[in-house]
Amino acid sequence: MASDADDPVRTNGAERAAAGACDDDDGTDASDLTGEDLVLQYPATEEPVVDGETLVAEPGAVTALVGPNGSGKSTLLGGLADQLDPDDGSVLVDGRDVHAMDTKEVARKLGVLSQESTSPDSITVEDLVYHGRYPHRGFFEHVTEADHRAVDGAIEMAGCDHLREREVGSLSGGQKQLAWIAMALAQDTDVLLLDEPTTFLDLHHQLEVMEIIETLRDESDVTVVVVLHDIEQAARLADRMVALKNGEIRARGSPGEVVTEELLAEVFRVDGEIEHTERGPRVTPLRARDDDGETPEDAEDASPSPEAE
Amino acid sequence: MSSDRPPGPAQTTRARNGRRFAWLLDPRLVTTVVGSLAVVLVAGLVQVSFGAYSMTLGQAWGAVFDPDVVLNRQAWNAFLLGGDLPEMSRESLVVWNIRMPRVFVAIIVGMNLAVSGAIFQAVTRNELASPFILGVSSGAGLTILLTLVVFGGLAAFLPLVAAVGGAVAFLVVYAIAWKNGTSPVRLVLAGVIVGTVFSSLQTALFFFADDIGVVQSAIAWTTGSLTGTDWEQVRMVLPWSVVALLLAVAGARQCNVLLLGEQTAKSLGMSVEKTRFALSGVAVLAAAASIAVAGIVGFVGLVVPHVVRNLVGSDYKRVIVGCLFVGPALMVGADVGARLALSPVQVPVGIVTGLVGGPYFLYLMRKQHSMGEI
Repeated sequence: MASDADDPVRTNGAERAAAGACDDDDGTDASDLTGEDLVLQYPATEEPVVDGETLVAEPGAVTALVGPNGSGKSTLLGGLADQLDPDDGSVLVDGRDVHAMDTKEVARKLGVLSQESTSPDSITVEDLVYHGRYPHRGFFEHVTEADHRAVDGAIEMAGCDHLREREVGSLSGGQKQLAWIAMALAQDTDVLLLDEPTTFLDLHHQLEVMEIIETLRDESDVTVVVVLHDIEQAARLADRMVALKNGEIRARGSPGEVVTEELLAEVFRVDGEIEHTERGPRVTPLRARDDDGETPEDAEDASPSPEAE
Repeated sequence: MSSDRPPGPAQTTRARNGRRFAWLLDPRLVTTVVGSLAVVLVAGLVQVSFGAYSMTLGQAWGAVFDPDVVLNRQAWNAFLLGGDLPEMSRESLVVWNIRMPRVFVAIIVGMNLAVSGAIFQAVTRNELASPFILGVSSGAGLTILLTLVVFGGLAAFLPLVAAVGGAVAFLVVYAIAWKNGTSPVRLVLAGVIVGTVFSSLQTALFFFADDIGVVQSAIAWTTGSLTGTDWEQVRMVLPWSVVALLLAVAGARQCNVLLLGEQTAKSLGMSVEKTRFALSGVAVLAAAASIAVAGIVGFVGLVVPHVVRNLVGSDYKRVIVGCLFVGPALMVGADVGARLALSPVQVPVGIVTGLVGGPYFLYLMRKQHSMGEI
């Protein structure tokens, strides 16, 4: 799939350049995304889930957020994605605060793939992907040639050309995910945020999703931030990794720097071995560390088995 | 919903060369529209052919297509703007001045209710929503009873009062549901709360009615009736309906995006709260306009969007257009039953729509595996 993906990427790149004219975007340079001193909390909770963390996504690179269940990685992503209003701090895209921007303008810069997506069952994949063009269209405007090109490019890049006419309700979980990724790609943003895009997928579809992200990184200038459950997968995919626990960033850096036996013990509460191979570090978890007394809050986390592994 | 429908052949041959209205030619939609038009035509002809003033079918149909009326500008001026009626034959007068306006009102009310229901189903993402789910009917019902029983002096403005009451109740529901924004579930719950309180007050007011005539009039209004509708009602409802229906067609794409869920809609750059309120406003306008001329006709707004979705799929551009035709078909058809079934006694049309709508829902419930979320 990645091998014959040159063409759609070029279409995508041309599309981006075309869109740049109206986007006050300075050409093809990758965008940077910064979350500064973010304090994030849900309306129902008393205490902030994330309390004053700063995250800088390197332009044009893939940044992976990892951490155990309840570590706040999805919350942090939700804050970056402007889906959760920060109590304090700000999210900047290319130096501009997203709260000061028009919602559609934000959506032209910042694409988000949520963990759970719903749609009417009888919508076709193609129609779904066309919804990705929403931020590029005015209220009364109709589909343009640029929209067609972006949709074709996105569908091809996500490798769901064969699903184009299928109804979303009839697809498998993995196929659905590809369709939703195609929608986010059609949005044609400079920054893409993905919340656990590989969770619940079979191996084949996990690899397909990872290949799409690699293609995005290698052949276009999209800045990607992705939450991943599987630390080995994250290490293989990402240029930068950020490890969270209890809403705090515990480590950041290249996969080689972040994925260590100490980190496994401290953040994931697992004893394991790490072997450095050509394809990045290989993690062999050996046993769960019971109760090393580090953080009593962890007891709240009632689902101890990470579903992805 | 998709179990028994083959993938639409129209979509495989979708024109990609920017033909803006290609989706209108979807064969399922065309069939639906043509079928509905046939029902409206037949039911309308039945409606104008029978009644207290007896004439033969030939006479009645001759009157319907009477060129002296159909092509007469003065006649249309009289109908639509309230000018003086031109000279016309007795049959034409009965058909055009007494029986036809009722059919027209039924058509307009059917469109309004169906579209309103379709929008509310998208806004609440619930297949069981109706135009009256956010308190419109209970607000209108309460003000109708208040007018008839307490403020008799306002009776002349009853249609207006009813429509305003419905709109105000909707705003109350929205205010109750608002807490840093709304959600479909909170809106529906607030609608239930306001509906319960207002309906209790409305029922209480029946005890203060001292006259059986007032009670009957109140029942006619609260179950929905087209008895005695005239060109004046057409003139009253038409402008509001045109505005509401045009906005509804324009808003169809927003409905489609709302159906992808709040998070997705937001990440696509939609201001979800604003859009939701604006769409609800359009739907309330349509519902209030229909209440002003026909009272609270139930089931049309609930059933028609269902029927249409089963016929044309879930794309709201097609659903809204389908509703514009299927709504009138149900409404005109039901009104034939309301007016002629127990002739000379007329029953409120809302009773007939309920009798038709209930069994249809039963059928849907048996046929479909899951109901509720769209």
